[in-house]
Amino acid sequence: MPTQGGEITLGRGGENSGGGADADRWLKVGFVAPALLVLISVNIFPLIYSIWLSFTNADLVGGGIRSVGTLNYSFLFFDPRYAQALRTTVLFVALAVGIELVLGYGLALCLRPTFRGKPILLTALLVPMMMPPAVMGVYWTLILNGSFGVLNQALGLLGLPELQWLTDPDLKLVSIILIDVWMWTPFTILISLAGLNAIPASIYEAAAVDRATTWMVFRRITLPMSAPLVGLAALLRATDALKQFDLVMAITGPNDGATQTLSALLYQVMFRDGKVGLASAYSYMVLVVVIALASVFLRYLASLQHRASATEAT
Amino acid sequence: MNRRLGLGRLRWVFLALYSVFSVLPLLWLGITSVKSKADSISTTVRFVPTTQPVDPRASTIRFLPTLDGYRALSDVYAGADHPYYHYLGNTLVIGVLSMVASVLIGTACAYGFSRFLIPGARDWLFFILSTRFLPPLAVVIPVLMMYREFGLQNTHLGLIILYTSFNLSLAVWLMKGFVDEIPAAYEEAALIDGYSRLSAFIRVVLPRAVPGMAVTAVFCLISAWNEYGFAMTLNNREGVTVPVYFAGLQGNVQGFPWSQIGAGVFLFVTPIVLFTILVRRHLLRGVTFGTIKR
Repeated sequence: MPTQGGEITLGRGGENSGGGADADRWLKVGFVAPALLVLISVNIFPLIYSIWLSFTNADLVGGGIRSVGTLNYSFLFFDPRYAQALRTTVLFVALAVGIELVLGYGLALCLRPTFRGKPILLTALLVPMMMPPAVMGVYWTLILNGSFGVLNQALGLLGLPELQWLTDPDLKLVSIILIDVWMWTPFTILISLAGLNAIPASIYEAAAVDRATTWMVFRRITLPMSAPLVGLAALLRATDALKQFDLVMAITGPNDGATQTLSALLYQVMFRDGKVGLASAYSYMVLVVVIALASVFLRYLASLQHRASATEAT
Repeated sequence: MNRRLGLGRLRWVFLALYSVFSVLPLLWLGITSVKSKADSISTTVRFVPTTQPVDPRASTIRFLPTLDGYRALSDVYAGADHPYYHYLGNTLVIGVLSMVASVLIGTACAYGFSRFLIPGARDWLFFILSTRFLPPLAVVIPVLMMYREFGLQNTHLGLIILYTSFNLSLAVWLMKGFVDEIPAAYEEAALIDGYSRLSAFIRVVLPRAVPGMAVTAVFCLISAWNEYGFAMTLNNREGVTVPVYFAGLQGNVQGFPWSQIGAGVFLFVTPIVLFTILVRRHLLRGVTFGTIKR
């Protein structure tokens, strides 16, 4: 049996029943090629095509496309909207993902011991992350409405000030973060819980023998040993949050200075202003950040898998 | 010991508070869907169903449940050209067909990577995964131009192809995990019995991969079901899906028809809730592309 050199092996399996026959070579191309063909023609080709577009004055109407050199890119660097959108996006990602991680990890700690009804509660808590963001965004405007929204009514009952969640420029982004936290905290709960459950009980028993305090156990065992998976959750959430578009569209539309994320700006320039060439340049600036983060994620994932397969082998 | 008790109680308070925050919005959605328009935008919280008609201006927590919201779903609203069900049909056709395509192509690809020695397999797999991170808006214009060229704009087929490609990364990685778990010994036995590779795959591996394919199908269906950016930019008002329909109602001058929206959204998300319960044991796999299994 040939060695599996650079083959990826996730968990168990990855059995390789060899096979070097000529028929097999064509068969394996037949198995793998359709997926790669679809990906290359629908994802990669458009990406390359838009590099070219970003150096032109293409617009939505079509017609004479002319090369404009690096004009789009130099315009972008002096466009205050771009700087503002970048700030908004970074703020959104930092706050939303930060809150989701802290909240999700805390809740995972609470959900760690078994108790009656835990599977049901856990399933119920995980439902929001499967919901359609665009539709939930529209629906949440009913909850957040300043005059008849149930959130303000609840705040009023508790004697707290009622706020204009959807119209106050300072609060619009907060509202979007609130909905994002509602939708995606389940995701960080789920992954944190997996990280916590993977810690072997024997380590805790050893710590108990050593009479370690609760805080010490958390600080020295629980946190560091669950950190790799929490890191995975953080990276996945960050790459996703960077593309935030659906909720912004539902809460304020694409052209609100207080909430215009990079994706919303991209949409505005591309479809409302119709400047396709410029928008392609914008999209590349978004893409560079996303690709950077995604490659960090992929490398991280590879190292996690490497570690997992190493521990499994021993 | 005292400290311990304090922490324990705090834990339940924290869990309870978050559960309310997490579950209440969806419960409220269900309640809204059976309210009249006046009750749905009343300035007092109305959540106790009653059998008596309620004065719309009264300060009460009671409301008279009604199915008017559901009945009104067959009306056509300002901001749309068709009733809700037209868009639900679009979503269903696009979602199901793209799901079938991504599961089939993805399973074949996963099998190839699982059982054959493929040069640079690891790099190919990571390339496939990386397509998941593309921001939809970064590719939408070239796709739009391609689709205009091939007459795919405003068609179901256009969105089916796009959703298939965007779900392939998920399908390949999830199915790779599931196929890896099927012992190769079964196929080897079949090969010795004189099956060809292909018939061994179809007769021996596929039946054993069905549970994994079902889980993968659910995740692909939900992601197509929920998609908004592409559906809005590539299709006109005819071919759009439900998320675009709801977003389009927002400009409605007569104010938002909240009870109908409540009913429509409730119908739209109920299958997702059911599917989530169905695949609850595989949620972790699904959201981490099959890389974490437990």
